[in-house]
Amino acid sequence: MKLGLPTFLRTTTFKLALLYSAMFAAFSAALLVYLYYSTVYYIRNESDRRLDLEFEQLGNAYYTGGMERLSQSVLERMTRTGSTYFYYLEDSSGRKIAGHFQRMPVAPPEVDSKTVYFDFDQPEPDGSMIVRSAAGKFVRLRDNGGALLVAFDTAQQTAIVVRIQRAIFIAAPIGLVLSLLGGVLISRGAASRADELARTAEAVMGGELGRRVPVRGSGDEFDRLGQRINAMLDQIEKLVDATRNTGNAIAHDLRSPLSRLRNRLEIALSQPLSQEAASATLNETVEEVDRVLATFNAILRLARLEAGAEGERVRMDVSELAEELAELFDPACEEAELTFRSQIARHLMILGDRDLIGQALSNMLDNAVKYTPAGGTISFTAARGPDGTIDLTVVDSGPGVPQEARKTVVQRFQRLDSARTQPGSGLGLSLVDSVADIHGGELILRDAGGPPGQPGLKAILRLPRA
Amino acid sequence: MTPDTLVDDTVVGDTMRVLVIEDDAEMASFIEKVLVEAGHSVDTAIDGERGLELARSVDFDALVVDRMLPAKDGLTLLKEYREAGGKTPALFLSALGDVQNRVQGLKAGADDYLSKPFAPSELAARVEALGRRQVGEPQVTSLKAGDLEMNLLTRKVTREGKKIDLQPREFRLLEYLMRHAGQVVTRTMLLEKVWDYNFDPQTNVIDVHISRLRAKIDKEFEEPLLHTVRGAGYRLQG
Repeated sequence: MKLGLPTFLRTTTFKLALLYSAMFAAFSAALLVYLYYSTVYYIRNESDRRLDLEFEQLGNAYYTGGMERLSQSVLERMTRTGSTYFYYLEDSSGRKIAGHFQRMPVAPPEVDSKTVYFDFDQPEPDGSMIVRSAAGKFVRLRDNGGALLVAFDTAQQTAIVVRIQRAIFIAAPIGLVLSLLGGVLISRGAASRADELARTAEAVMGGELGRRVPVRGSGDEFDRLGQRINAMLDQIEKLVDATRNTGNAIAHDLRSPLSRLRNRLEIALSQPLSQEAASATLNETVEEVDRVLATFNAILRLARLEAGAEGERVRMDVSELAEELAELFDPACEEAELTFRSQIARHLMILGDRDLIGQALSNMLDNAVKYTPAGGTISFTAARGPDGTIDLTVVDSGPGVPQEARKTVVQRFQRLDSARTQPGSGLGLSLVDSVADIHGGELILRDAGGPPGQPGLKAILRLPRA
Repeated sequence: MTPDTLVDDTVVGDTMRVLVIEDDAEMASFIEKVLVEAGHSVDTAIDGERGLELARSVDFDALVVDRMLPAKDGLTLLKEYREAGGKTPALFLSALGDVQNRVQGLKAGADDYLSKPFAPSELAARVEALGRRQVGEPQVTSLKAGDLEMNLLTRKVTREGKKIDLQPREFRLLEYLMRHAGQVVTRTMLLEKVWDYNFDPQTNVIDVHISRLRAKIDKEFEEPLLHTVRGAGYRLQG
């Protein structure tokens, strides 16, 4: 899905970029205005200071030597090379005594002094005249009535200001365009990440449950969001799988016993039955229904387990539970003419659900009791395993499980052919496997090392230690 | 079990008046039949509203409440009943059998929980046990069943004055049986109440423990006290 421009203009990222550009522009403008005024102010100030200095020196000449000394001083300054000042001195009657100008360019003040700005024509070496601007101070001389003008050419000052203005007028639009462009680029990048999320969501909605958000590994918020979404999708996929599997299992494993049931009832209906035969048939039927219900419950339980919907894990002493179960199973083993040995290390702590762990261990023990022929041995141990684990192990001296069948034996409803004659839903070890799974552990099946033909099974429920 | 009864005769105990709140007509009549056969009188309500009304207006000995009900579900019904001060013990029925649902039911004010489908004898035994509970369990220091005596303080058990040595678990098993003397208790009840297990250990572990206990309390005596009730559970003769 490619974003069209109008859509793009509506995105949050673009709006943010626009806002940042505007803020950047406002800040830059304020900075430039400040720079402009402070520069202009500085230049003016500096000129004023130097003008004052000029007057101070000329004033000294006037006070020490009168008009004569002053006019001399003015003439000296006019001829001094490199002087940037213009001078004009007149007497009380308004006659020119000395100065750059033919005649007074501006009217002198009646008393004291005034700041003056004026234009004047200056002859160039080629005979033409150019108009120049000047700024300065006109002072009425005390006691004497004459007047003195000192001014400087403002061309240089103006040039600097103009240059600054031009720089501002050129730089500002470029800066604005660049900041907008940068904003757009950045928001484009963000928008494309958001786009990836949207595309993944669409693909998943379209049935592609395995699709995941690409994660770049930069650890930014989009990556974090992507990881969360991926984890959520994993969970959803697991749930959907569990539901699908449950459906399959129900179809597969409940259909045949239900058909058997139906057949039995059909046969019973088709022939006249004695009271005794009828009640025998009904008894068998009830038993069959009970088995179907047990299988059904087991399927539901497994499905809930696999979906992670069951079990509340708390820190628990698994040794206590193991001791209890050993005590619970010991007499049953004796009854079945089996030797039962248990060795439970004390205070093995795990993070687990007591009922689930109990059910798993019971299934392992029950399995051993069922498949071990009379005279055999069952041992139950709980001990520390490798790498911070706890091993809960049941070893029997039964027929064992061949290497190639060990994977399938923990899958649902897989029972070895030889075991078909034994009662059970075939869900025992799959449940142990699921319980191990949700506790972050594993179910390990091995040969117990017995004689050929009767190697025995060693089942280890390995759980992380808490 | 004779073909026309659901519950073994030996289950029949004290007569109670039981209110069954269940919307499924077939299930309701099944429960009614089971409880009537066990010697109780039964009233039924087919939705939560009516059930709550009836439970409040009539003094029943026990309530049997289904979880999913029209008008008012079982959890809400129980909560409201208890909040209004209703004391009648209740058995909660549900097709949802997992642990969380059981905990929810007990929290809402149920005294016991039974998941569907259940055996008739299981239902009868649990309702019977509820009735006993209502009488209350006063702080007794000793229990007695026939000539069997148990001192809860010294943890001494004697029969006809002869001392009987019990393992701690056997002691708790016998204590539970004696507290429910004359009543049928099922294997599941024993697993739940004596072992505190909410899972099914599958192998006939309870039977074996019972037969060991029986060897200790009955073997050397003329009259057996601990009986097996076929298809249901066990009963300690009162």
